Amino acid sequence: MSRTVLWMLAASALAASPTSMSAQSTYDSNALRLDSKFGDVRIVRGVEGPVVGKIGVFRGSDVAKIVETSPRAVTEAQEFQRNYRPGTIIFGLGLVSLGVTTGISQIHDVNRGITSGLMLATFGLLTYGGGRLERAYNALSRSIWWYNRDLSQ
Amino acid sequence: MKSRFFSALALGALLIAAPAAAQQSGHIVAQGASTAKTGTTASASPAPAADSSRRYDSQALRFESRWGSADIKRGTDGVAVGTVGWFRGIDVERLVAPSPRAVAEARSFKTDNFRGSLASAAGAMTLITGIVVTSNSSNNAASPVLIILGVGGIAWGAQHLQLGYSALSRAFWWYNRELSR
Repeated sequence: MSRTVLWMLAASALAASPTSMSAQSTYDSNALRLDSKFGDVRIVRGVEGPVVGKIGVFRGSDVAKIVETSPRAVTEAQEFQRNYRPGTIIFGLGLVSLGVTTGISQIHDVNRGITSGLMLATFGLLTYGGGRLERAYNALSRSIWWYNRDLSQ
Repeated sequence: MKSRFFSALALGALLIAAPAAAQQSGHIVAQGASTAKTGTTASASPAPAADSSRRYDSQALRFESRWGSADIKRGTDGVAVGTVGWFRGIDVERLVAPSPRAVAEARSFKTDNFRGSLASAAGAMTLITGIVVTSNSSNNAASPVLIILGVGGIAWGAQHLQLGYSALSRAFWWYNRELSR
């Protein structure tokens, strides 16, 4: 009878480690999130984990490689990479154009048509660049979501 | 021989029953959480329905930006559950209520988002005033001060907005952690 009790104890110990526990520990140590500080966007792994990627001003980190274990996440990461670089370049050009427009508008004998054209161009560049950047960051958010989803599978 | 047979039977029964019991208690926790969230009384609904209320695929949150604000989306279909942004937003604390760590981060988001919105708006207004004063060619000594103050306010506000969105990202990370897959 005592052997039966031992068997039962051993079996309950085995059964007490459900899969959700291991899934949670996988999530705790591997799930990604975004963290930004002083204009710097970083991809962080786990609760207090290491920085696995930094999104630079003109160059995004190789997000597709970071999330390569999840096919859906890779698709979104590619969307991020397609939009990020053009977005930052066009937005940067928009800022330069803004500076030039402000400078030219201070000169008194400049044709108003030039100033107006420059302002329109600035507006267009900032809007288009901003839109591409927004698309890129939204794809990054989705990519991380899919990667975290597929962690325990 | 008889006792060995009994032991094997007992072991088999335990191996089948224990995970089932664990799953059952999981359903109870999930039901409790969903009741707390929706504020409705849980009926004797079938187990799969209760389970789906805590599934990552249907419940996990993320946010996507949209011209200065952010849409909070849920699940694989990306159903929009609300928008947060300058001086506005849904109650994120309530949204992530099942996870205490997520609630703490949501509170941090709320504080930083408000500070950031206030400082950047005040900074933008100060900057515009400074630019207008300068462009009127009036030799006003206050105009450079206004411009510097405005830029400073915008930068300080942007920093707090950024800290806020980092906190929101952490809040969703913690909330999604508690969901089953």
